[in-house]
Amino acid sequence: MTEEKKKILIIGIGGGLAQILSRLILNEHPTWEILGIDSRSISRVPKINGLNATSMKYSRGNFENLFRAHEFDAVYHLGRLSHSSGDQEQLSKRIELSVMGTNRILELCHRSGVKKVVILSTFHIYGAMADNSIFLTEDAPLRASMKHPELRDVVEMDQICTNWMWRHQNEISTVVLRPCNIIGPQIQNSMTKFLLSPLALRPIDYNPYFQFIHEFDMATILYRSLDKVPTGVFNIAGNDFLSLRESLDLIGTKGIPFPIFLADGLNGILKKIKMDVPEYLLDYLKFSCLIDNKEIKTHLGENFLRFSIKEALELIKLR
Amino acid sequence: MDLDFFKNTPEDDAKINEVFAGLRLHYEKHKDPWGFNIDLCEKTLRKLVPIYRKYFKVRVFGQENVENIPYIVVSNHTGQLPIDGMLITIAFLLDIAPPRVLRAMIERFMAQLPFMGDMTAQLGSILGDRANCEYLIDHNESILVFPEGVRGISKNTPDYYKVRSFSQGFFRIALQKKTPILPLCVIGAEEMFPFVFHATKLARAIGLPSLPLTPLAFPLPSPIDIYIGKAYQMPDHLNPESPEKEIKEHIYHIENRVRRMIAVGMKKRRPFVDSVRVPLSKYIIKELRRKDD
Repeated sequence: MTEEKKKILIIGIGGGLAQILSRLILNEHPTWEILGIDSRSISRVPKINGLNATSMKYSRGNFENLFRAHEFDAVYHLGRLSHSSGDQEQLSKRIELSVMGTNRILELCHRSGVKKVVILSTFHIYGAMADNSIFLTEDAPLRASMKHPELRDVVEMDQICTNWMWRHQNEISTVVLRPCNIIGPQIQNSMTKFLLSPLALRPIDYNPYFQFIHEFDMATILYRSLDKVPTGVFNIAGNDFLSLRESLDLIGTKGIPFPIFLADGLNGILKKIKMDVPEYLLDYLKFSCLIDNKEIKTHLGENFLRFSIKEALELIKLR
Repeated sequence: MDLDFFKNTPEDDAKINEVFAGLRLHYEKHKDPWGFNIDLCEKTLRKLVPIYRKYFKVRVFGQENVENIPYIVVSNHTGQLPIDGMLITIAFLLDIAPPRVLRAMIERFMAQLPFMGDMTAQLGSILGDRANCEYLIDHNESILVFPEGVRGISKNTPDYYKVRSFSQGFFRIALQKKTPILPLCVIGAEEMFPFVFHATKLARAIGLPSLPLTPLAFPLPSPIDIYIGKAYQMPDHLNPESPEKEIKEHIYHIENRVRRMIAVGMKKRRPFVDSVRVPLSKYIIKELRRKDD
């Protein structure tokens, strides 16, 4: 029996995770077709049989044309700008893309009969707070933007998606994933850069716990979300966690011992000597933000990850 | 005071070895998500035992009321600084069988302090939060709660040993987890700092939960008695969502048990003056002898 052909749209194909996901899908289903788009350059996207990568501006017109020209069975929305700058112009641009853009994409998915939408959010939306409970469930309040307005778009995008998801649950299956820190040789996020930097601030006054997931495991979860995960919001993390100092030791990053409580005030100076970290990340270097994984395990099983936290950390050294 | 004061007796050293050999078996099974560090805990305990035994001369009563099950231990809070919490924790490690690490609930203020937050977490404290308590009880751990909160230790001298009204959170958690509550009282901690004035307005202005002002730099060696009452069993007809009125009735009973234990304990209290005088006179005699030699 021949397999049903499917057409998948991946928004944000310029990212390492989207490319691993494309390979996974096309390895399993060589007859499927993937259209990958990104507002960034796609010159670094490798040539993969079945993947058609295009660079385009994320505008209403372009998205409408895209959905008119193709009949997608599933859409992956991995196209969020990195939330690493507090600059006002960047913030407006990000809100336009993450919040307004997401809304348009979801409406287009609904109108054109897409059956599955998978959205990549992040655990950062919970915020790193001194009074965080241990293992935050999906129902925990999203407090990240209380202290850091630069995370507003990330929180709002998640909220828009979840509201939309429940409103249209009978017509379209939507999965919102909130993964812990995704790390790997192909990922270029703030956390990976921080962990590998020889100038990483090594807190002497705090030692919070972290959860990490390897990029391959995250891509596998995105892939399995197509048919194994029903409509809903899911935290993504393994069972294990490590303290920041243990994590840095494991990678072999000595870093610069530093009292993090001073970093808030000194970030300007630290920026000049290239030791700065995004302001929102400073809180994660002080307080733990561990997430609960019971919900996703009910659909993907107890052992849904291939790499342990220690293996994931050791593997980022391969980059 | 000679250096022997800071040394543990061979019996205490042997006891600590035995206690931590058992505790390691428990803590090796699962990693603590708050960062409890059993090695640091053992090291710190070895340093604190002389203070517990010789400086505060802690006596524990009611050990027979403690069984080998998780409890929510509820105590009065006295003494300006949470030294009472430290002494209760040591008592449950050394003088109560089976030994256990009581996980003390701390205020958010404490948890967010640089150095202090990390250190207290490594020594077993956790932020007072319902989800945290439930997690610990599920992992067979006992919790130490001061339901008076900061109001308990921030008392001016005339209010010493007056029990403030208890908050309700601990009782709802106990109902949820069907965990018995162990009432306890500490006698002697108020006298560690006998003259205190609380600068409440100043504390509020600079964002501190309390600001006790005292002429003393160190706590006085007030003899401490810890009384453990009988476990308060959870009523079957209540659940964690029961109305406040019904919960308050039980909270009132627990408060009263603690008050009664304080009243009994106060009558049996060892004289505070002797406690200061005896070590001082021993020290003077020793110094005189040293000079004679």
